[in-house]
Amino acid sequence: MKLLVDPKTKKKLYDSMVSIVGKEHVTQLETDRVLNAHDAWQLNAAKLRAGEMMPLADMIVFPASGEEIAKILVVANDLKVPVIPVGGGAGTCGGTLAIYGGIQLDMKRMSKIHPIDHESMTVRVEAGVVGIDLEEEVNRHGYTLGHTPTSLRSSNMGGFIATRSGGSLSSLYGKIEDLTLGLQVILPNGSTVDCKAVPRHSVGPDLQQLFIGSEGVLGIITEATLRLFLIPEERRFRSYSFPDIHSGLEAIRHIFRIGIEPSVARLYDPEDAAMAFSMHFKFEEGHCMLLLGFDGDSAQNDIDENKSMKICTEQGGTDHGEGPAKRWWEHRYDMYYPSRLTTSGFAIGDTIDIVATYDKLENIYHAMKEAMEAHDAIVMSHFSHMYHNGGSIYMIFFSSRATAEEAWETYTKIWDDGVAVCLREGGTMSHQHGVGFSRSTYIEDELGSAFSVLKQIKEVLDPNGIMNPGKLGLGVRK
Amino acid sequence: MTFDDTLAEQIRMCAACPKMCRHVCPTFFAWRSDSPTPHGRALLLHQEIVGTRDLDERGIEVLFQCLECSHCLTFCKPEIDIATIVEQRRKDIVTEGRRPTGLDDMAESIKKHHNPYSESHESRNDWIGTKKSDGKHLLYFTGCTAAYREKVIATDTVEVLETLGYLVSVSPDEWCCGSPLFRTGDVKLGLELASHNVEMLNASEADEIVVTCPGCYRVLTKDYPDYDLQLNKPIKHISQTLEEQVSKLPMKDFEGSITYHDSCHLGRHCGIYDEPRKVIEKVSGTSLVEMERTRDNAMCCGNGAGLRTLFPEKAKKIGSERVKQAKTVGADILVTSCPFCKNMLESQSGEDLTVLDLPEIVLMAKRGRKANID
Repeated sequence: MKLLVDPKTKKKLYDSMVSIVGKEHVTQLETDRVLNAHDAWQLNAAKLRAGEMMPLADMIVFPASGEEIAKILVVANDLKVPVIPVGGGAGTCGGTLAIYGGIQLDMKRMSKIHPIDHESMTVRVEAGVVGIDLEEEVNRHGYTLGHTPTSLRSSNMGGFIATRSGGSLSSLYGKIEDLTLGLQVILPNGSTVDCKAVPRHSVGPDLQQLFIGSEGVLGIITEATLRLFLIPEERRFRSYSFPDIHSGLEAIRHIFRIGIEPSVARLYDPEDAAMAFSMHFKFEEGHCMLLLGFDGDSAQNDIDENKSMKICTEQGGTDHGEGPAKRWWEHRYDMYYPSRLTTSGFAIGDTIDIVATYDKLENIYHAMKEAMEAHDAIVMSHFSHMYHNGGSIYMIFFSSRATAEEAWETYTKIWDDGVAVCLREGGTMSHQHGVGFSRSTYIEDELGSAFSVLKQIKEVLDPNGIMNPGKLGLGVRK
Repeated sequence: MTFDDTLAEQIRMCAACPKMCRHVCPTFFAWRSDSPTPHGRALLLHQEIVGTRDLDERGIEVLFQCLECSHCLTFCKPEIDIATIVEQRRKDIVTEGRRPTGLDDMAESIKKHHNPYSESHESRNDWIGTKKSDGKHLLYFTGCTAAYREKVIATDTVEVLETLGYLVSVSPDEWCCGSPLFRTGDVKLGLELASHNVEMLNASEADEIVVTCPGCYRVLTKDYPDYDLQLNKPIKHISQTLEEQVSKLPMKDFEGSITYHDSCHLGRHCGIYDEPRKVIEKVSGTSLVEMERTRDNAMCCGNGAGLRTLFPEKAKKIGSERVKQAKTVGADILVTSCPFCKNMLESQSGEDLTVLDLPEIVLMAKRGRKANID
């Protein structure tokens, strides 16, 4: 086996890490490296099931503070050893894979939640806080973060910010880039960047946004200041079926157009609607299902719901009351669990979470569905994370093949063709999952000439290319 | 190592899960690492089953870092009982002679002294005084922790039961129930103890067996029958016996907020949640203040399945967190119904939280009323 970090360097690195964080917080044991090797990328999971090994880091280091991280990065930079930040390990794009070995910098020990600033409605937290722990803590004080990704129980704040994460209520509360007011990042040279927590500013470009979504390729996110919202007086649900995607999308577009901001707006295509709701609710075969949610006080929700219902009716929708939408909310984590079917043989599925403006969404949906289905895959979709100007489509596929080789090849083709069609039709390949390793080969096509800007930034901030190499299409080594 | 197809399928599913239960895993809390987690354990077993990788020494350690509290099962939609799966693998590890050496002393002590504390068997319960009565005869199976480490639970249990009119006896022939051995995979030695205890208990003239330790309760009611060892009389946990007599229980104003900690063995593993609560509410005359994590969502105290023996500081960290959860809801008194939990929680409670076992609070109520009357 080729050694990515030679034994002499590794020994030096280990000794340095022990001196920085203590022996208890560094491990080179193979079992620990195996159990830390993967995130929740579906191809990883399928390969692990099939008995394949993931690439392993040389060691895992668990820092307790930004000061320790700064020292770690100085050593790694000096020795030119890769550093891969690991949050909750719940990413879906292989962003934490140690493809060139090195240090996996596991942030889970940094889980401090500072006292809430009730006056400003903010909370400062360390990057390793698990999402559900933070949400429960702020709930105790009457607040919500409004950030509820399906991975809430297993992902953490640093990961949210590093991947520009989005939750199922993002239509109202926004994505993590909207929720992050302040940020601290440690650069590869050990220096600290503090982006002050302010609601808005006019002091040059927003450098904080440079690091939100940087996926560990520019530095390590150590802490953030986040916005809080009062827990709404009520969350009300309404559901409508529509004869086709077009009419359902039109209903959503018109709802946002008149200034209504539902917390939930999800349109399930006929296949996904049948899968998700036909077991419990009666609606016409081949119809789509729109789920709406309204957060607020009862009087405001009355107004927003009535206006939305009128629009849905005008667009040809049929009212199904709160049932399907409420059921989805109460069971929103269920689909995340593995099943016998989805883990059997060489079964593999995934989601391409594209995003586009309204003028392109419908075309992208049809074109991607056709391209992905061409590989004998089951494709079902829902439009979610909808906004004033457009939204996301969850293009979900599932396939199963007789051999691992065929399965992995089919998986890659579906991704290649799906993303190519998305880009051809004017969409962007990810709304909230990020790029990681799995989409790194598409990023030049996605960003076009802007990619060279990203590359130049990377070269300036990380001249030795130690930060999460191979992710975001940056730092790819031979 | 053998798992049948059904278990292998469950292990595969758990190994493929994006960690939907990890947030409640107490050992994840203690280590803040992806290794000692349900998913981590399942992946190690899956890799062993499909031949990717054998369990190495660290892998075995990870399997013995499980508290077997089954909190993960509460959050598992496919209902995969990874704690039981881990326990099954532990059995083979013990048979293979690869058990963590830290458990050898415990097993040796149980073999030699019939208790895990290296205390003399003769002093197990000879200090417990009982009175004659015409009432229903209960054989109190004291369990090792009440007998050697939490003696006040044992004496209070006897006094409370005698006050209720029962004839209570203890047996000098009682041995460790085998719980620490069954839970850590040492079935062979566990069954030696079980056989002895079954013979002793079945020969007793008592009408019922009562236990204060949920670990004993689980072993007597579930493990013994699983190994075809049948007891010829009913076995009750003290919370069940007291709940049956709830109308006769005394009441006292404890002048503080009371919460209840569900033992994993009693709650998730045996489904007993209501009985201790009814008893506490009766003797205190107030409603319990529930912790956020309660009943089948209760956090483990950190003391189970060999963790305290192997990793005492991590076990204490978990116990300390559970104490913090009680204080967060403003509790002045934390009641549990498990000597082992009480032992851990009291060690972490500090001066602003009183930790009591169920018979203790009942007896306090009785004494309080007497004091008022006098």
